[in-house]
Order: sequence, then structure tokens, then C-alpha cells
Amino acid sequence: MIFSGEFLIFMLLALIAVMGGVLMINLTKVVHMVVALVFTFVSIAGIFVLLSAEFIAAVQILIYSGAVTIIMLFGIMLTRHNDESEPKTGRLRKILLFLGVLGFGVVFYIGVYNVDFPQAANTLHENNTEQIGIALYSKYIIPFELTSVILLVALIGAIVLAKRDDQEEADKE
Amino acid sequence: MMEGLLAAEASWLNFGIFFLLAVVLLFVVLGFVTYAILAERKVMGFMQLRYGPNQVGGRFGLLQTVADVLKLLIKEDTIPKLADRPLFILAPVIAFTPAFMVLAVIPFTDKFYFADIGVGLLYYIAISGLTTIGIVTGGWASNNKYALMGGMRAAAQMISYEIPLVMSVIGIILLTGSLNLNDIVEAQKNGWFIIWQPIAFIVFLIAAVAELNRVPFDLPEAESELVAGFHVEYSGFRWAFFMLAEYVYMFAMASLITVIFLGGWLPLPFLGFIPGAVWFALKFTVVIFILIWFRVTFPRIRADQLMEFGWKVLLPVALANIFLTAILKELLNIF
Repeated sequence: MIFSGEFLIFMLLALIAVMGGVLMINLTKVVHMVVALVFTFVSIAGIFVLLSAEFIAAVQILIYSGAVTIIMLFGIMLTRHNDESEPKTGRLRKILLFLGVLGFGVVFYIGVYNVDFPQAANTLHENNTEQIGIALYSKYIIPFELTSVILLVALIGAIVLAKRDDQEEADKE
Repeated sequence: MMEGLLAAEASWLNFGIFFLLAVVLLFVVLGFVTYAILAERKVMGFMQLRYGPNQVGGRFGLLQTVADVLKLLIKEDTIPKLADRPLFILAPVIAFTPAFMVLAVIPFTDKFYFADIGVGLLYYIAISGLTTIGIVTGGWASNNKYALMGGMRAAAQMISYEIPLVMSVIGIILLTGSLNLNDIVEAQKNGWFIIWQPIAFIVFLIAAVAELNRVPFDLPEAESELVAGFHVEYSGFRWAFFMLAEYVYMFAMASLITVIFLGGWLPLPFLGFIPGAVWFALKFTVVIFILIWFRVTFPRIRADQLMEFGWKVLLPVALANIFLTAILKELLNIF
């Protein structure tokens, strides 16, 4: 059971996701980091597919790999696109960091191992797009609408910021 | 045939069959690309009152593209000294892979499809967004200002036109109640969606041309302003991969338009004796012809006009179409 195809695929995807994350931290060029991040996002989408959550997988790729990454690349290129981050070194810092990572790992290993998931209804994977839609628009309609208000506020904020810049430049001229 | 295979238990034999079918599809698509390029040059030639390729491979230039591709493959592979080497090599791969991946969900006929997933339409749109990353990284890795500008334009354009593209199909999803492309075709039994959703069709067609980076929306590679845009520094088979990605997307997008708006493999009334594959091929060819026709007849639009048109015209029209569809569906209850 352990070496089933699902297990192998999961290990592969998990490996790519973790490697993407590690590369993202260790690479020096900003654009390389973003590309590493894309690999993480895509393999997480693959893990969603393994869990039969196809809608979330598609949205994960659409939003994270598609939109968020492009916006990050835009941000990088509009500022200093050849920027490199300098690795900061320091022995004490490294040791403390290693201990912190180790502690984090241990705590999460124990925590995840002791979690007892109650057996939920196992029809969630059937028509999950429809189920998500029904849940969002009937049971969770108010939080959903609140999210859209927050997004609207962010949008208007961005427009206000962009507009003000324009006017100031015009005043200077 | 495919239903049985898709439902069967996963095994090495099953994997082998799918792998083989995918390889066959790859070669079919490569054949399509070869002759689509020739067809494009021929149609353009006739529309501009010239002959187009007519030397290599007989009177119709049937081997012209083959010769061109052969030339590209044996060309020297140059990588600029100051380019970002790993990304420069990776970018064409990132651009091409999603182009082939999207073909998995397209149902060609009622018996021949590769995947029957519930979110087919969303899958197509999500995966096709990945190509933009390949184009932007290619433009950036070339370390060339024209390439970078082309890449940025591509990103801005693809993000802007993806939104009307998605919004225009929401009307169809409302009518069908499914994102599955097979179900969408089945729902067109009593009238193709080009009849029920004409506004959506026009918005989708315009946004699709923009997504394909074809004239009149070919700003990322506008040769008169940016030399060649994001692939200035590419040559040989790496450049061929970018071109291949573009034409495979043309194949995929034409198939998608056929499936969503033109009823896929469904026949016209009283002509049901003609097999579904023939119908699909006919509709597909018409869409390809329209795409080539656009390229010959329209001038390229300016970057600011492009953005204004996308956000101020296409998006509101697509939103109005959703609103209208919802009202009609609720009030008239015709579906």
C-alpha cells in the first residue's frame, strides 16, 4: 500500500514543492526566485488534484501561478529588475536558525501525527465545483460578500494611490 | 473507447496506451502546425494578390514549412553572453509545455477525448496563463531592452484579456450548469451557443485573438517597434519552440471556440449522417480561416488603445452579458 502510484506521485509533487521553496530562499536573483515559486505553486495544485479537489487545483494555478506571479514579475521589472539579494552570513545566526527550524519541524511532526481527523462525509469530491458554489452562496454568503467589499476597498485604495502620484507630478511640472 | 479507458483501473498498460495516444496527438498537432503555417502564408498571399510559397514541394509549396523547420533545427544555437543562461534555456520550455497540456481537455468527438474532468474550461484558462510566465522570463533572460518590453507587453495584454475571456464564457456556464466541456457540447443539442450567446461569442473571439498574440493584438512582437519583441535574442530550435507554442495555442483556441460556441462535433439539422469528426474538422477549419483573415485585414492597434479597449469596452460588455443571461434564464426559463 505504501508504494502505490498515489504515494509516488505525492512524493514527487511534495519534493518539487519543497525544492521550489528552498530554491526560492537560496537563489540570489529576484526573477529566479519567482520562477522557483511557480514550481511550488504548480506542484501544490498537483497535490490538490491528488485529493480530488480539481476546482481548487485549477483556481490555484489560475490565481497563484497566473495572476500573482505575473504581478510580482511586474513589480520587480518596474523597479530594479536586476536586483540581487546579498546573502547575510553569521555563525550564531545560522545555528539559531537551524535550531528554530528543527524545533518547528518537531512541533509540527508531533502536532500533525496526533491530530485526529473525524471521518467526514466522503462525497465531497463528487461535483466539488457545484458543492463549493452552493456552500458559498447559501451558507457562507455574508463572509463571501464581505470579502468582495474588502477587495473593493483595496481596489479603490490602489486607484487613489495611483491618481495622487499623477497629480503631484503634474503640479511639479 | 475512451470512456472505458478513463474508467479503468490505473495500470502500466493503461499508462502506456495514454502515453502512446498523447504521442500520436503530438504528431497530429505538429502536422497541423506545419500546414497551418503554410495555409496562413497561402491565404495571406491570395488576399494580397500574390501566390505565397510555390517553389518547394510542388505547385502549392507543400514542403515549404518542412524545409523552414529543418533550417531552424540545424541552425547555430546562440545564447547571448550576457543573457541569464538557465532562464534563457528554461523559458521556451515553460512557454510550450502548457500549450500542449491544454489539449488534454478538448473533446474532439463524443468518443474521442483524453480527459473528462469537471472543470475542463477552467483548466484550459488556468493552464494557458502559465505560458505568459515563459514569455516574460524569456524576455527578461535575454537581457535586451526590446525583449524585456515585449515580455512586459505580453504579460499586460494577456492578463487584461484573460478577464473578458473568462467573463464571456460565464454566460454559457450559466446556461449549461457545468464547466465540463463534454457537457457544454451536449447542452448545444437544441441550438449552438453562437445563437444563444452572440455577445459572448464576439467578446470571446476578440479576447481569444488577443490571447493568441495575433494581429491586430500582436504588440508583444510588433516588428516595427520592438524588432521582434520577446524573442529577439532567440534563434534556432529555441525560437522554433516559441513559434510552436503560438501555433499549438492557435490549434487549442480554435478547438475551444468550436467546442464552446459552434457545437463541437454536433451536426447541422438533417445532416446527422456525416460523422462527428468531420463536423469538428469543418468548424475548426472555419475558425482557423477567420483567425488568418483577421491577421490579413486588420492593422495593429496602439498599446494604450489595446488596454482601453480591453478594460473599458470588452469587460463591461461581458459583464452586461452575464447580467442579461441571468435575467433571461430566471424570467423566461427557456433553458
